[in-house]
This record gives sequence, structure tokens and C-alpha cells, in this order.
Amino acid sequence: MSTSQILKGILEGCLLAVIARGETYGYEMIEKLNTYGFTMVSEGSIYPLLIRMRKEGLVTTSEKTLPSGGPKRKYYSLTKKGRERLDDFQERWNEVASSVNCLLEGKNS
Amino acid sequence: MVVSKESQDFLDDLTVYLYSSGKKEEEVKGIVEELKDHLHEAEKNGKRVDDIIGIKPKEYMKQLASEMPFDVRGWLKYLPIVFMGALAYTVMGDAIKGEIKYSLIECIGYPFIFLLYLFSISRLFKYTSSHKVSKWKEYILFLGVTAVIPTASFVALIFLGKSYSTTAIHLGETGNIVAIMLSILAFIGIAIWSKTWDAIMLPAILFLPDVLLKYTNLTTGPKDMLSLLLSMSGICLYAFLKLKEIKLRI
Repeated sequence: MSTSQILKGILEGCLLAVIARGETYGYEMIEKLNTYGFTMVSEGSIYPLLIRMRKEGLVTTSEKTLPSGGPKRKYYSLTKKGRERLDDFQERWNEVASSVNCLLEGKNS
Repeated sequence: MVVSKESQDFLDDLTVYLYSSGKKEEEVKGIVEELKDHLHEAEKNGKRVDDIIGIKPKEYMKQLASEMPFDVRGWLKYLPIVFMGALAYTVMGDAIKGEIKYSLIECIGYPFIFLLYLFSISRLFKYTSSHKVSKWKEYILFLGVTAVIPTASFVALIFLGKSYSTTAIHLGETGNIVAIMLSILAFIGIAIWSKTWDAIMLPAILFLPDVLLKYTNLTTGPKDMLSLLLSMSGICLYAFLKLKEIKLRI
């Protein structure tokens, strides 16, 4: 199974977690993900997800002009619904992660 | 904000792809700007557009498009206006010649060809923006869709009309004048709506020589030649002035 297939379901949750740490924009999200070791995420793949998350009302966007001037940049922040989805993701992830770990390590939970 | 030519080409292709997939203008602009910002930052760190997309450009464009809703309202808004323009243009051309006479087959055929034409053009834009097509192939495809398809369907319509001709609409002298008036009104309406002079200037350039030459003593042959020549040079001049205006704005 390829990494991108495993990532498919969890990237949304990870993006919610990144945005929950404070208002941010696309490129910065990738940088933050990279510092946590997510170097396998292809950079462009976050944008279709961000469009969907906005459509579902999990995030809102605002345009801000850069302090250095020039064009506007799109910043994302979490909505209440997004926060709930993140909590939900955290709970499910803990369940899945501990089960997978137990199985792979051969222990009985 | 400047990005490499490679990245800019990708962004341009993406814009065309999303527009021809019927996406909303603001949404297309939004995502293209956002990606441009990303590519700009990424290129500063030595990355290339292929590294960012990760997959084939076509696959990536598809992924983005599938998350954006089809802009039904936007299209419903444009379609009748473009249709009205095409109708006014056809009717006016025939009215000036003094022969408004349409068979049932033409009444169904013209709108059908019009829709077929629009559909094939949008498919063509979608195809060329998401595939690596050589310039040559692109020219041939454009020529095929913009010239061969309409010509072939008009020829087919003429043959069909000959074998099953039933006149459904036939206007007399007064009818012709009314038709011309209504067409002019339609052009003015479209010009006001679109806030450009094109909808008035283009029909004027194409039809005025015909109208003016009608009052000369020239025979049909030279008259047609002169009319074509005047219209062609008019269009070239207008296009030249437009280009100059656009360049000044940039």
C-alpha cells in the first residue's frame, strides 16, 4: 500500500490540527507538517482538501495583504464545526492507532 | 509576484481548464492566486512545479475541479445572451439581404448547431489545457472545431432543407425592418450588459459595408468583393486598436 493511500483519510485531520494552532496559509501549513516529519505529503494535495473543508464549513478564510506589500494571501482559521471535527478525529485516531500498534507488536489489548 | 515560466504555464492551463469545466469565476481566481503564492514561495526554496503537484497535471486539475461546484447560475446567465447575440446576428444578415425566410428544419437546426458549437469549444479548451499538445496539433484541433464543424453542419442543414423544405417563417418588407430594429436593440442591450462596445462595433463593421454598397451602382461581383474587403480591414483595424488599448492598460 502506498503512503498516499494511507494518508488519504488522515490528512484532513492533520490539517485541522495545524490550523487549530493559529491562523495560517497553504505554504506555511506544508512547512509545519514538514517539521513534524510529514515530508511524504505532496504539497499540492492540500488544496483540493482545503477547498472541501471550506465548503463543509470546517474552516473560514480571510484575505490579508502581506506586511511587505504586494498581493493578498489567503489565511485559514478553524470554525466551531472544525474544532468539533478535530476532537472527533483525535478520538478515532487514538482508537485506530492503538489497535494497529497492538496488532503489529503482537500484543493482546 | 513572479513565478517561473513553467509554473505560469501550469497556472494558465489550470485557469482555462477550470473555466471550461464551468466553475465560478471568483473561485477559479481564488485557487489560482493561492497556488501562485505557494509556487512563488516554493520556488524560492528551489522546488519546481512538478514537485508541488506530485501527480500528472491533468489528474491534479481534475482533483481540484471535482471539489468545486458547477456554476449553473452563471452559465444560465450567459447562455441566453450569447444565444440572443447569435440570433440577432443571423437575422440581421438575412434581413439586410432582404430575405428572411426560414424553414422548420432551419429553425431547429440553427440553435442545435449553436449549442453543438459551444459544447465542442468548451471540450476543446478542457482537452488542450490538461494534455501536453504540440502547437501544431493545437492549431489543427482549433481549426477543426471552429471551422470544420460549423461549416459541415451548415452544409448538412442546407441539404436537409432542400429535401424537406417547409417554410415556417417568411417576413415581408415591414417584417424585415422590424427584424433589423430588434437586432440592433439586441446588440445595444448586449453592449450595455457587457459594458463593452464590441457587441455594437463588430456587427456594424460586418454589416455596414453591405448596407452602404446597396445604394451604389456597382454590379454584384465587385460589390461583394468590396464589402468583404471593407469588413476585413475594419475588423483588423478594430482588433489592432483593441490590442493597443489592452497593452496601454498593462
